[in-house]
Amino acid sequence: MKADTTIETTVTGPRTFSMPLGPVHVALEEPVYFHLEVEGETVRKVTLTSGHVHRGMEALAAQRNLIKNVTLTERVCSLCSNSHSFTYCMAVENVLGISIPMRARYLRTMSEEIKRVASHLFNTAIQAHIIGYKSLFMHTMEVREIMQDVKETVYGNRMNISSNCIGGVKCDLTPELFKYILGALDKVEPLVDELREIYATNPLVLGRTKGIGMFPKEDALRLGIVGPVARGSGICKDVRKDSPYAAYPLVDFKVVVKDGACCHTRTQLRFDEIFESISIIRQCCRDTPDGPLVAPMNEIRVAEAVARTEAPRGEVFYYIRTDGTDVPARLKWRVPSYMNWEALPVMMKNCNVADVALITNTIDPCVSCTER
Amino acid sequence: MTDTLLALLHMCLFPGGVFALAVGFFFKGLDRRVEARLQSRVGPPLVQPWIDIAKLLTKETLIPKTACRQAFLMAPVLGFTGMAVCAAFIPVPGVFNGLFNMGDLLVLFYLLPIPAMAIMVGGSASSSPFGAMGFSREMSLMLAYETPLLMILLTVAMLVGKGLTGGAWGAEFSLLKIVAYQQQTGSFGLNPVMIPALLAYLIFLPGTMGVAPFDIPEAETEIIEGPLLEYGGPLLALFQVTSALKTFVVLGLGVALFFPGTVSDLWLVNLGWFLLKTLALMLLSLTLVKSASGRMRIDQAFRFYVTVPCALALCSLLLVWFV
Repeated sequence: MKADTTIETTVTGPRTFSMPLGPVHVALEEPVYFHLEVEGETVRKVTLTSGHVHRGMEALAAQRNLIKNVTLTERVCSLCSNSHSFTYCMAVENVLGISIPMRARYLRTMSEEIKRVASHLFNTAIQAHIIGYKSLFMHTMEVREIMQDVKETVYGNRMNISSNCIGGVKCDLTPELFKYILGALDKVEPLVDELREIYATNPLVLGRTKGIGMFPKEDALRLGIVGPVARGSGICKDVRKDSPYAAYPLVDFKVVVKDGACCHTRTQLRFDEIFESISIIRQCCRDTPDGPLVAPMNEIRVAEAVARTEAPRGEVFYYIRTDGTDVPARLKWRVPSYMNWEALPVMMKNCNVADVALITNTIDPCVSCTER
Repeated sequence: MTDTLLALLHMCLFPGGVFALAVGFFFKGLDRRVEARLQSRVGPPLVQPWIDIAKLLTKETLIPKTACRQAFLMAPVLGFTGMAVCAAFIPVPGVFNGLFNMGDLLVLFYLLPIPAMAIMVGGSASSSPFGAMGFSREMSLMLAYETPLLMILLTVAMLVGKGLTGGAWGAEFSLLKIVAYQQQTGSFGLNPVMIPALLAYLIFLPGTMGVAPFDIPEAETEIIEGPLLEYGGPLLALFQVTSALKTFVVLGLGVALFFPGTVSDLWLVNLGWFLLKTLALMLLSLTLVKSASGRMRIDQAFRFYVTVPCALALCSLLLVWFV
């Protein structure tokens, strides 16, 4: 948690007045507080304050055993829930020296990409909601519903799919389920294509998003921004390629990078990433080998390890230290929103009050992840 | 004395007051329902606006400590009074001729911005920064959409004036005469010269009703209802009643200006025909438009209003002037 990140773009004087945005606000999915100094419709100064949903999860993790922590980490956040349990399991496997079976690697990749498609669609839907385009919001959510159905059918849950366990995956996929997933992808792909077209050409959407929330590449490098926000500013950075894990080295996909650096670019980038994800899921459906789902546990030693994965919002990093008991001595994680938070003051420099919520949404902030 | 009583009756029962409110709420309910269907939702029941009012009336009135008390309390009353009077001016062709028959178009033009002003007064009196923001947005938007409205009214008045005086210069600001003239010579909505003005009026409607893409002063996801944020209970109910009356007024005015034709001598049939026309106008210019668009920024909306509808209205005005 970082409290009070402040930018000051011009001297504030009697011409400005202060305006609170949050911590509870219609356009924000999670509580975070923006204190805006406004001159007319222009934001002159932003102070971000967070910490409203701190739940002390890292301390909790140090009181539960390794297996119980899979459930706990899945509940850090709902949209990238799978990424947390996934990365946690990877960290535990690294510390215990377990190598997971091939089938589990593919199934983990699949669940991760299914969550990514749903998460990106959610983010773009919220953008439509923020610019007051209710029909487009409903339309995007309807398309996302297909992916929600996939999660519910395959894993039995719509948000916390609980597919990972230490050493592999919990839930096996039958040939019928593979066929069902392929069918759902065939259904979702043309719809996403149509949505991308709407977001790319609709004059009202373009008028609100193009050139708004500019985020130059130099700033992205300076602040260590990750995920789609960095890729939208022309930085090729993706953990799936940089340090491949699970089945990512075995599937063919490309990292989408765009140069526009504005809200519009980041939305289009998310749509392009959805197509890459769909391609990855298809390859997984085709290539998943037969075999065991879980590797046996090893003895718990005194050791420490890290793991990192690419969540829908960027790099998730887990550190674990064990002391020979089944309760971790320390479990620490860093989420992408923690890094991307720093992008907001740059993006909001002299922006319009109407665009504050819009800009916040394009970094796809996950407040409960960041504050845990 | 009888005239005053009659005028009061018109304001309270028909076409203002009860009738306008019933039509306005029915249209609002239908609007929500149709919009929901267009977005693959079920939508609320048709009586939902009445239920909302009933609920709001049972709640207590909270006034912020820092608010300017009198202005805060008077603002919704101001808006309501303006619209309640306005509704009595609306002629229902073949049923009712309008309350006054001299220059009532001009009076309407002065009364129409009152609800927007009430929102501005209420917003700035509420002492909330969102209210202040909504105030400035409402004011910019109002300036932008009142300009084309003035030109549209002038165009209609001039066309009727020219027709009545046989080609000489003149303008007729009596709604009764405007309606009667059109009933004899054909609706202006079907007159090629007036089509741009009609389009401009259709564009004016979402702006004055504050629906997407022009719901900027009350933008929920930006300034959380802005001027209305601090209002609750009966005061908020009064704002909603005003909005329902305004729906009736602006749609009824549109019908009077562009489609005042009647289909029969029976008043009941004419009333139904009037309601059908207002409904069609609402679905076309409010419901469809708001389901197919997002919100503009205030600078975009301002630029849009002073260019597109102004150009359209000016086009009709010049055509009427010279042709």
